[in-house]
Amino acid sequence: MPEWTREITRALTPLGLRPEREREIADELAAHLEDRYCDARGRGASDAEARNEALAELSGVLVPELRRVESPWREPAQLGAAARASVLDTLRQDVRYALRSLRLSPGFTAVSVATLAIGIGACTLMLSAANSVLRRPLPFREPDRLVVFWGTAPEKGLTEVDYPTGLAAVVRDRAHTLESFAVFTATGVNLTGNGDAERVEGAAVSTDFFRALGVSPMLGRVPVASEAALDEPARVAVVGHALWMRRFGGDSSLVGKTIDLNGSPTTVVGVMPPGFVYPRRSEMWSPLAIDPSRFNCWCFSAIGRMRPGVTPEDVRRDVANVTDDFAILRQDVFPGAKRGKTRVIAMSLSERVVGGVEKQLLTLLVAVGCVLLVACANIANLLLARAATRARELAVRCCLGASPRRVATQLLTESTMIALAGAVLGATFAAWGVHALQSLPTTLFPRIDEVRIDFDVLLATVAVALVTGVLCGLAPAWRAMRVDLVDAIKGGAKGSSTRANRRTSNGFVVAQFALSLMLLASAGLLLRSYHRLSNVEMGYRADHALIARMQLPYPRYDSARVVRATYQQVLDQAQAIPGVKAVGLASRVPLSQGNPQDNVIAEGKEPANPNVPVRVANVRYVTPGYFAAMGTPLNRGRLFRASDDDHSPRVAIVDELFAKHFWPGEEPIGKRFTHGGDTSAGRWVTVIGVVANVKHERLDEAGDLQVYEHFAQRTTWNNYIVVRTAGQPESFVPELRALVRRVDSAVPLYEVHSMSDAVDLSLGTRRLTNILLVSFAVTAMLLAAIGIYGVMSLGVSSRVREFGIRLALGANPDGVRGLVLRQAAVLTTIGIVAGLAGAMATTRYIRALLFRVEPLDWITFTAVSALLAVAALTASYLPARRATRADPMLALRAE
Amino acid sequence: MIDREMKKGSAELLILALVETQARHGYELCKLIEARSAGVLTFHAASLYPLLYRLEKRGVIEGRWVEKAGQRRRRYYRITAEGKRVLAAQRHTWKEFMTAIARIAGVQHA
Repeated sequence: MPEWTREITRALTPLGLRPEREREIADELAAHLEDRYCDARGRGASDAEARNEALAELSGVLVPELRRVESPWREPAQLGAAARASVLDTLRQDVRYALRSLRLSPGFTAVSVATLAIGIGACTLMLSAANSVLRRPLPFREPDRLVVFWGTAPEKGLTEVDYPTGLAAVVRDRAHTLESFAVFTATGVNLTGNGDAERVEGAAVSTDFFRALGVSPMLGRVPVASEAALDEPARVAVVGHALWMRRFGGDSSLVGKTIDLNGSPTTVVGVMPPGFVYPRRSEMWSPLAIDPSRFNCWCFSAIGRMRPGVTPEDVRRDVANVTDDFAILRQDVFPGAKRGKTRVIAMSLSERVVGGVEKQLLTLLVAVGCVLLVACANIANLLLARAATRARELAVRCCLGASPRRVATQLLTESTMIALAGAVLGATFAAWGVHALQSLPTTLFPRIDEVRIDFDVLLATVAVALVTGVLCGLAPAWRAMRVDLVDAIKGGAKGSSTRANRRTSNGFVVAQFALSLMLLASAGLLLRSYHRLSNVEMGYRADHALIARMQLPYPRYDSARVVRATYQQVLDQAQAIPGVKAVGLASRVPLSQGNPQDNVIAEGKEPANPNVPVRVANVRYVTPGYFAAMGTPLNRGRLFRASDDDHSPRVAIVDELFAKHFWPGEEPIGKRFTHGGDTSAGRWVTVIGVVANVKHERLDEAGDLQVYEHFAQRTTWNNYIVVRTAGQPESFVPELRALVRRVDSAVPLYEVHSMSDAVDLSLGTRRLTNILLVSFAVTAMLLAAIGIYGVMSLGVSSRVREFGIRLALGANPDGVRGLVLRQAAVLTTIGIVAGLAGAMATTRYIRALLFRVEPLDWITFTAVSALLAVAALTASYLPARRATRADPMLALRAE
Repeated sequence: MIDREMKKGSAELLILALVETQARHGYELCKLIEARSAGVLTFHAASLYPLLYRLEKRGVIEGRWVEKAGQRRRRYYRITAEGKRVLAAQRHTWKEFMTAIARIAGVQHA
């Protein structure tokens, strides 16, 4: 005789009845089942048949019907360990059942796990990037307290003004919001001896620099104030860890030894720990004296450690006040100074380091979120279809005492298992992705080399997987709870429940298309921006131009004449290399670091009083061959000649913006101007030519006023050689290096690159964002296409009899195909319309990433809608074609 | 064909009628309904017992556990005084209802 009471008690569990009452009902029902069983046996039924007949007495309505009569009751003590144990027990059962049922359908499991792995993997990758770039603290002590600040004077064309040491001394002594303060400036050095001459990136830093950052040397010490010398090369230096390993083999006896920097003996006093490369990839730090009397070089960056509880905004106000006070007293340095005139920008160091990419990362994070949602919708649809085919199985479970809630939990457990498996696979994908990101240059994306998958990210991934599992399983679980048991047992899912399923599936497809369209629209806008940007008029020809930088060290090269002669030698020899079309020299080239600027006053247009802001222009010193080598066209006047030398009157070439700013509507050739507050007799510079505007720092900049002076009249020690070549510019590098070595073996060439590489690099962050966003958008579109394929296929399968009969009655196959495609078109259209509405509402958030493209660019919107529509109809074509081949006999027989 | 709603509407009357003269247990009620309706009406445990509990709660029937040697204990239901009043009222209502149906639809008693 079967044991009924346990089965019945399990069925009653969800009611939460008082134990005695539960026992009473169980006893009564057990007696009933036993009677039914015995009767059946008496009629000659087998044990199994009799048992099934008895169990059928308990069909699905028992629990809901009882719930209407009986009131739930829970014994308080049961909420403790016992309840927990039973929850765990149920969970264990569900997991085991889910694993078994997933193993039984390997195809479904593989497709779902792979789909979710793509979605979750992309999420993990972007979470790692965002976490490492935006959240992980910088490698300094209490990095939140580090602040950087600078002045700004947009009315003069200056967005960022650095500090002269005179003003730095004032801030250091008077700004009470700062615990410590330092200034620094990037200064590369030529390192010689011990092998080939090498250019080392470095910085001259004031004494408090290391204390402000909170870093100490790994070996030795940092320089002290007395070691900072004015106007002469530093005698001591601190070496970075990478340089120490590379050049000195990690020799700890290096501390105290003398090395040759820029031709001067320098004592190494310390070695910094690994990973310390601030500012910008520095490997060598020399002491800098803060001279309170100097205001000539506004070229030092400021960094400070805030006192506890102080914000960057407090620092901004404090520094502005201190500067105001000082400026009013020193009208000789700050003509027209008055209270409130100083404008300062302060921000935390971490904000400065990742500046600008926050928006890109957040955009990408939202994008992967959308991809994941689209993937979820696919899985939800798959699960719905699966639940429909399993309706009978689920119904039997209900009859055997599982409550609808229990079945729903079961389905949720299954989808969660799929999501967790997807997370494991996705994390593996993400690990590959992270590896690829790490190998990108940091110039492309700040801190990209620090991207890691850490515990936080893994935790987030698990959370994402759990949410994904629930999201995917919600709809099927909800449907399962409302399934009609009698229908299900009789003949699988039919009628209303299938229709409801299809409505839900259609809803998912529409949502997928809407999300995909939003992503595609954003990606399309960024691509168009990129296209516009890469075709922007740069003012030079980036192809076939080789750039190399060199510095003739002072004081070994102590006169301008020697410097000029040496550079001339280099230029002459470079010109003689076969395949070189033009050679030139410039103190700065476009897209290089740093941008020396100067106040400009045009003759006859001197400001009436010191309160009128003076416009600033970029100043470059170039040789006559520079323009041909760089490919910057001359629009008016003439270029420099060899005869314009340091004995003849000063001449300059300006760009169109400069000419238009100072002499609008006038002929600029022959006009004179002065810059840098030069008051000497020979201060006036005559304009002899006008060249095209040039993009200096970024391709998306508006452009600065530009002055080119003759290198023969104004000489700089550190310059760029520009070589225009007939063939691949990179192939000329060995010869160029060799000839420079012949001229002076202790002078290394550095920052050697082709101009097109520089352009590529300047577009790099955008390109990386674009590549990622476009691939996310395309993934979403493909998933959506797969989604509509699945839904249309199911639709066709369930209507195969109808199609078969239509065809048998003489319907045109084209008509049947049209019927299916029309349905797909309706779904796609609704999805696209919803997506367009979403895109219109959201694309304005990426306005900052766009270039000469409006967020509501109709061309992009039309193009991506068309693309999506084509993808959708292509995906629906296969099911549509299958519909035209429906065989009415087969279909009827299957019924 | 007796649809679910018809069955639901009449179930109360059938049960009260069957326990009017003697106390009966659930399975017995099922068998009686099936036999006396010649198989047209069937009740499953899943719907019968909740109905019995509801009737008991309303006070129209009362249940009592009876134990016999060598058998499971069984719960027997009998009609209460209130049940008798309800049964009389329901009989009257159903009679009027069926007469009305017969007049309109031409359905005759068997």
